[in-house]
Amino acid sequence: MSSQTQERWSVEIAGMPHFDQAMDRIYAWFEGEIIDRPPVRFSAHNAFVEQQKGHLAGMNAEERKALWFDVEYQLDMFERSIEGRVWHGETFPVFSPNLGPDVYAAFYAGDLIFGEVTSWIAPALKDWDDMDALRLDMDNVYFRKIDELTMQALERCPGKYLVGYTDLHPGLDCCVGWRGPQQFCLDMYDSPENVHRLADLAISGFETVYDHYDDILKAHGQLSVNWMGIPTFGRMHVPSCDFSSLISPAMFEEFGLPILQREVKTMTHNIFHIDGKGVARHRDAILSVPEVHAIQWVQGMGHDLPIMQWVPLIKEIQARAPIIIDLNKAELDDFMEAMEPEGVFLWIATESEEEELELLDRIAKW
Amino acid sequence: MEELLDGLYTAVLNGDASGAVENVTAALNAGAAPEAILQESMIPAMMEVGRLFELGEAFVPEMLIAARAMQSGLQILRPHLIAADVEPVGKVVLGTVSGDMHDIGKNLVGMMLEGAGYATVDLGVNVSPQAFVDAVEKEGDVDLVCMSALLTTTMPQMRATIDAFKHAEIYDDVKIMVGGAPVTPEFAEAIGAHGSADDAGQAVKVAQRLTGLAA
Ligand code: B12
Repeated sequence: MSSQTQERWSVEIAGMPHFDQAMDRIYAWFEGEIIDRPPVRFSAHNAFVEQQKGHLAGMNAEERKALWFDVEYQLDMFERSIEGRVWHGETFPVFSPNLGPDVYAAFYAGDLIFGEVTSWIAPALKDWDDMDALRLDMDNVYFRKIDELTMQALERCPGKYLVGYTDLHPGLDCCVGWRGPQQFCLDMYDSPENVHRLADLAISGFETVYDHYDDILKAHGQLSVNWMGIPTFGRMHVPSCDFSSLISPAMFEEFGLPILQREVKTMTHNIFHIDGKGVARHRDAILSVPEVHAIQWVQGMGHDLPIMQWVPLIKEIQARAPIIIDLNKAELDDFMEAMEPEGVFLWIATESEEEELELLDRIAKW
Repeated sequence: MEELLDGLYTAVLNGDASGAVENVTAALNAGAAPEAILQESMIPAMMEVGRLFELGEAFVPEMLIAARAMQSGLQILRPHLIAADVEPVGKVVLGTVSGDMHDIGKNLVGMMLEGAGYATVDLGVNVSPQAFVDAVEKEGDVDLVCMSALLTTTMPQMRATIDAFKHAEIYDDVKIMVGGAPVTPEFAEAIGAHGSADDAGQAVKVAQRLTGLAA
């Protein structure tokens, strides 16, 4: 992959003296190789963040939106959440400007409704006749807010954290944002030609939007990174299609796959986010795209826990692409016992620094 | 006649709404008993869709168009069922719990239950415990209450609703079934629900058991 010959640079981050080694482990992982141990990302329990969530719970929608839009507040909160932390493994402090997963759809049309930790969109396209009015608007409130968050963060980040680009979903999930999921399911039967046109419209603005952020970040010496926290020196992206959990493989191949192929085209590192077994149903189609370089597997809740039931599926994917696994630390030993480490990137929730160091030791022996 | 009922079965199964309307109309014109049209053709078609969904051979769009075809057919059939005094097999109140806006799964469960001959009262999404209690009290003859939750953060509302039923002293008058992706049988039991199901096809079977229609 040409990514190995990419120009590299170092970024100074307090609490992360091993930035370069961490990047080496990530690049090795993309190649299915291991330097000294598989990469590991920790998500530390953070009492401060929990407390802030509680704070939003008592608010009405307008008050919540005001906080989501408050650039100072967002950056203060983020900076307080990482204050004094030492970053172990391949855990990078990243501020990704965030207005929720539907922000890309909202760049065209639709109002975002803000919850406590995420947001969703009110479907804006009621009538197919209005499709022609749907247009990428780089001057709309959401776009301007993301720009503002990005620029402020870039001013404040040096020496402390990386700045990423916002979560972009330009595929069928964007169409779902405009039509609503149930209606969009019906559309697939009632109006397949309009579904194709809509998907085409959704993806058409993606490169422009991506380039806009990539240019800003690179001009500031940043890497390419988003909420997933896995930076690269090229163009990294996290394609996904949560809606695909509702449809058949044949429908995904007809409507989802052509969009995915366009979405990943200009990227050097694509990590497809497979959210649960419903999306995993389409793994053959997803992995048929050569530019899908890696997979993130996310198991669901309830019956879908714990991780060990997914080992056969994980092995199957591992044989074809590097894979990120999010697991509970109590499951780690069994998991390492059952799996080979090649191509595995572990995400583990932790309570303390000591625990992170102990886990790294254990994983180094895998 | 056989042919018309087969045609209706196929139309519902394939989600062909106009085909369903045509076949119901033709079957009625040919003198078929409204109850036979429902029981021998439409309900089996919905049960088959549920079975295919359980097997992973049909997906949400297929369920939705089948249910829509069923509804279209039922609109023609309903006045005839009423005229012929065909009673629903039971009455169900259903809704998505407080704080939760996910309703595709709940809608499918509702459609399947209707397909199985139940009368349903759909309270929609974001239904508070009190609104569930009020609906049961207002309807009077409710056999089954169905609650749906898709978020781990709204699952506790199921317990809160059951507690509200106990408080209002109507808990013993109805059966309560819960579901939604994060809901497990263990959770259902722990909160005092009488049953749970993983998908809309199973939901019908559990409903039939809870309402005494099946063992
Ligand atoms: C579509 C969807 C939405 C749509 C919902 C639209 C609608 N009208 O329903 C929108 C975009 C609005 C939405 C919003 C949110 N969502 Co959402 N959503 C989904 C998605 C992609 C599919 C859910 C679905 O419809 N499945 C299809 C149906 C058929 O399946 P089902 O609901 O499980 O129902 C079946 C069974 O469970 C059962 N069943 C269901 N109800 C009942 C009831 C009874 C009585 C019985 C017996 C059986 C039963 O039978 C059904 C049919 O077989 C899932 C991810 C996924 N792949 O599941 C996330 C998901 C449920 N959402 C999630 C989240 C976090 C949210 C949001 C908070 C944020 C966000 N931006 O996504 C908001 C919350 C809004 C709110 N307050 O409710 C998370 C939940 C995580 C968790 N466990 O808590 C999920 C799992 C995605 C994820 N991986 O993060 N979402």
